[in-house]
Amino acid sequence: MIDTIIDRINIAYAALKSGADEIAAARKSSPDPKIYIGMATCGRAAGAAEIDGIIRGLLSELDVKADIIHTGCIGHCYAEPIVIVDDPRHGFPPIMYYNVTPGKANLIVRAYIGRGDPLYEHLLGAMTENELIPSVMGFPRFGMEERLVTEHCGHIDPEDIQEYISLGGYSSLARALVMDPIKIIDELKKSGLRGRGGAGFPSWKKLDVAGSAQSEKKIIICNADEGDPGAYMDRTIIESNPHQLLEGMAIAARSIGASSGIIYIRHEYPLAVKIMRKALDDAAGLNLLGNSILGSDFSLDLEIFQGSGAFVCGEETALILSVEGHRGMPRMRPPFPAEKGLGGKPTVINNVKTLSTIPAIIKNGGEWFSKIGTSDSPGTAIFSIVGNVVHAGLVEIPMGVSLRRLIFDICGGIPNQKKFKAVQIGGPSGGCLPEIFLDIPIDFDSILEAGAMMGSGGMVVMDGDTCMVDVARYFLEFTQRESCGKCTFCRIGTKHLLTILEKITKGEGAMSDLDTLESLSKEIRRGSLCGLGKTAPNPVLTTLQYFRSEYIAHIEEKRCPALKCRALTAFYIDLDKCARGCDACVGSCPVECIFTAKGRKKGIDQSVCVKCGECVTACPKEYDAVKRISPAWKVPIVEKIKESH
Amino acid sequence: MSKTPLPDDKAMLDDIAAIVEKTGCERKNLIPVLQNIQDRFLYLSEDAIKILSGHFGLSSCEIYGVATFYNQFRFNPPGKHQVKICLGTACHVKGGDIILENFERKLKIKTGHTTEDREFSIDKVACIGCCALAPAVVIDEKTHAHMTPTKIEGIFLGYEIEKEMKIREEKKRDDKDTPA
Amino acid sequence: MMIIISVDDKEIQAEEGTSLLKVCLDNGIYIPNLCYMEGMETPPSSCRLCFVDIDGEKNPVPSCSVKVREGMKVFTNTPRVRGLQWSAFELIMSNHRIDCGSCLSRKACPLIKISRHLKIRLKPFRVGHINSGNEDIVEDHPCLIYDITKCVRCGKCLHICEKIHGRLYLTFAGRGVDMGISFFGDSDDETIPCARCLACVKICPVSALLSYERYEHSPEGSSS
Repeated sequence: MIDTIIDRINIAYAALKSGADEIAAARKSSPDPKIYIGMATCGRAAGAAEIDGIIRGLLSELDVKADIIHTGCIGHCYAEPIVIVDDPRHGFPPIMYYNVTPGKANLIVRAYIGRGDPLYEHLLGAMTENELIPSVMGFPRFGMEERLVTEHCGHIDPEDIQEYISLGGYSSLARALVMDPIKIIDELKKSGLRGRGGAGFPSWKKLDVAGSAQSEKKIIICNADEGDPGAYMDRTIIESNPHQLLEGMAIAARSIGASSGIIYIRHEYPLAVKIMRKALDDAAGLNLLGNSILGSDFSLDLEIFQGSGAFVCGEETALILSVEGHRGMPRMRPPFPAEKGLGGKPTVINNVKTLSTIPAIIKNGGEWFSKIGTSDSPGTAIFSIVGNVVHAGLVEIPMGVSLRRLIFDICGGIPNQKKFKAVQIGGPSGGCLPEIFLDIPIDFDSILEAGAMMGSGGMVVMDGDTCMVDVARYFLEFTQRESCGKCTFCRIGTKHLLTILEKITKGEGAMSDLDTLESLSKEIRRGSLCGLGKTAPNPVLTTLQYFRSEYIAHIEEKRCPALKCRALTAFYIDLDKCARGCDACVGSCPVECIFTAKGRKKGIDQSVCVKCGECVTACPKEYDAVKRISPAWKVPIVEKIKESH
Repeated sequence: MSKTPLPDDKAMLDDIAAIVEKTGCERKNLIPVLQNIQDRFLYLSEDAIKILSGHFGLSSCEIYGVATFYNQFRFNPPGKHQVKICLGTACHVKGGDIILENFERKLKIKTGHTTEDREFSIDKVACIGCCALAPAVVIDEKTHAHMTPTKIEGIFLGYEIEKEMKIREEKKRDDKDTPA
Repeated sequence: MMIIISVDDKEIQAEEGTSLLKVCLDNGIYIPNLCYMEGMETPPSSCRLCFVDIDGEKNPVPSCSVKVREGMKVFTNTPRVRGLQWSAFELIMSNHRIDCGSCLSRKACPLIKISRHLKIRLKPFRVGHINSGNEDIVEDHPCLIYDITKCVRCGKCLHICEKIHGRLYLTFAGRGVDMGISFFGDSDDETIPCARCLACVKICPVSALLSYERYEHSPEGSSS
């Protein structure tokens, strides 16, 4: 009897796979050029839709038949829009073109697809090893990554379930369906997988609690309510490879016996919602979701819930309340959602990255996974690395790689020959780490020990022009705005932290404020109800610890060392450098505060200037006459000449 | 808080009934229904919330309490062109606040408000995911990358020209329609 | 089942599973609290005042959310408990308009009781006063008036309203420090039970919610 079920599942999966393989083979054998365009949100923002239109127009103009495939995001945001052309007719491997402008798109179609000129000056590299064009893998940003979760992102059409299946997709689900649920949890336990959503709790524990709970109904939730203002990897995964997430979710659901599930996506991600909707329909259409999946006794219904925009809903209990139609205010735990969650039923909530990792673990075994990364933090880490860094975007690396290697070797370091100052890890819950931490390995515990947090995986690199007091103020402004208002420490405490930081950035702080910041931060950390409040002071505490001298300069000298805080700085025009009669800056000023001084040179009316810095950009490089100075009172006084007619 | 029914009240009642019918009227459907209503009417009016309260058997007060918790919902009509300024971390580091300030100054409104002629409204948004293009601004559906204060002037000039062209075209059409 | 716990080295008999805060209060051991009400299934634990130390727990925990167990050893006044309570109280007071002279709560005010118990003054000592909300006093209700500058966001009014009427005639609106009570919607005296009920006014510990009648008789209301 049992054997027949196993057979049924295996046969059903084999049929799916061979169908998908046929489609893939047909595509592969077609002589038509294949053009892959990255059309995730980041690609579109950079103009990919326009490029798509241009390419299509030209192809029909030249009467060339081509297969245009819209892929997701490959993670190389600095290079968007990205177009990969696979045109075997010319004897070249697939080629990746970067920062494709309308002009480049024109060239790609006319010169490469039309005439076979690969345009060496515009390509980033070849997608495979070959003798003609250097492969992108020789480029550290590609070669030094290890892609486990984002392996197919940017290479496949996220809306084509067949392509995912042809790459072995859903084979882990088929395997999990014939496994004893306990064995699935055991495998995850062996793998050592830790939750990618923030604190890094062992993932198997939640599943184990919910799995052994006695309840006729259990629920699985995927948390894609990515609220960190500088992180977007969850969105990228959904927009680039939604089926891997669905597969992981189905496996997790199977391990606890959940029959329904919710994918909680922010409404700010309309494209991700659209792609996920299609993925759900397609998976259900092939009986990879729904009733008796692949002929087994396991059924799972998944639906999408769109989060309405509240950072705190990333917290499990708040998320559940918002799904139930309430204000998303966290409640005390215990009981934990794994015991008593949505509608009082055992509920397991996992992050997108965690769930997307599961198929690989089931496929290759927990032991295989436990050998990637470090022994305490196995697997890979995915960061969205932004800010003052050359090759910004999404990076997946094995845990244990040092920050220095990630920022400098893989991501190309700091642009414009500026100096590294700090890296902010973990968004509003994380902290700012200075240069001395560059050699620590990236893993849950080392980063926590340094005072930051893996959190959601947002990483912001900052150069010398970044004011650390302002950074702390920025994050506090965020957490304060996103505080739900329930508990005293977070509601009122974060407001005080913000008020004090605002005072300091305006030069109105006192030295005693630093003690208050520190003591209040520690009390908020201890006293708050939920994770949002408990971690909100981290940006303050780390900047206070590692960049205290900057705080002191703001308070005692009214000076912003990074020349960033506007109340403490002023712009002026160096009359020795200003070129007579050059009016470049005048037109750039949005508030018209630049006047003519003696000798047809220029001056800035300090009472009107809004310190936007436009004049700095406008001033020709060879003059470089506009200067910024802090403290503001040190600004040289330039006399306005009386206008005579 | 006017008690006078809006001219299209009947239409609104029907539309909301259809949305509730489609989405469901259990408590767990409340937020999806609010989202659909906002998609349809662009904001949540007092009347809409009152109509909903009947469908859900909740006081309008409670619905309002839920809606005000979430950033998505707005309670006043947005402008024709919605200016969304990204204040994600990368945009902040690259001066997003200066861009915001310039928009506020140019339109003479604060964030979250709409200009008197209902042409523009300004909203802050969290990371829109084009950190490599920071600071970024989304106006209607178009993303403007690497914003600077002078670019803002250019954008508005573009809108003014567009408006002017429309007026001229209409005038031309009117001239044609009216027999000389 | 009756069990024995120890609070500040005193042995107390209690029904297993009762809220620790309730057990202490019932036995004459005062623990500062603002948001707890008897009979709440899941107390909000939002005021963060009722912290206690429990033997075996790493950190102080809010006693309202702890159920008593046999042999539990509780301490209500360890230095770290006091530290958290002082801090929470200071924060609450920094967002509360101190105007005891014309306040109707007078001696019944729990804030005064807490300040005496914690031996700490009413006025915040490290931080300044912060304001919340767009308007201080909300007057769009036919019989209620709400003063956000006094409100401590304990939520007792919401709890009692829902308990009595099965639905909410007032709610928390907004978020964070701007979160306050709203009477949005029904303002028709005929359709709402407020004039006859006023339970929210009675339960408000700090006189942030008043009936018009009471407001007009208060020193503040009559002076304006």
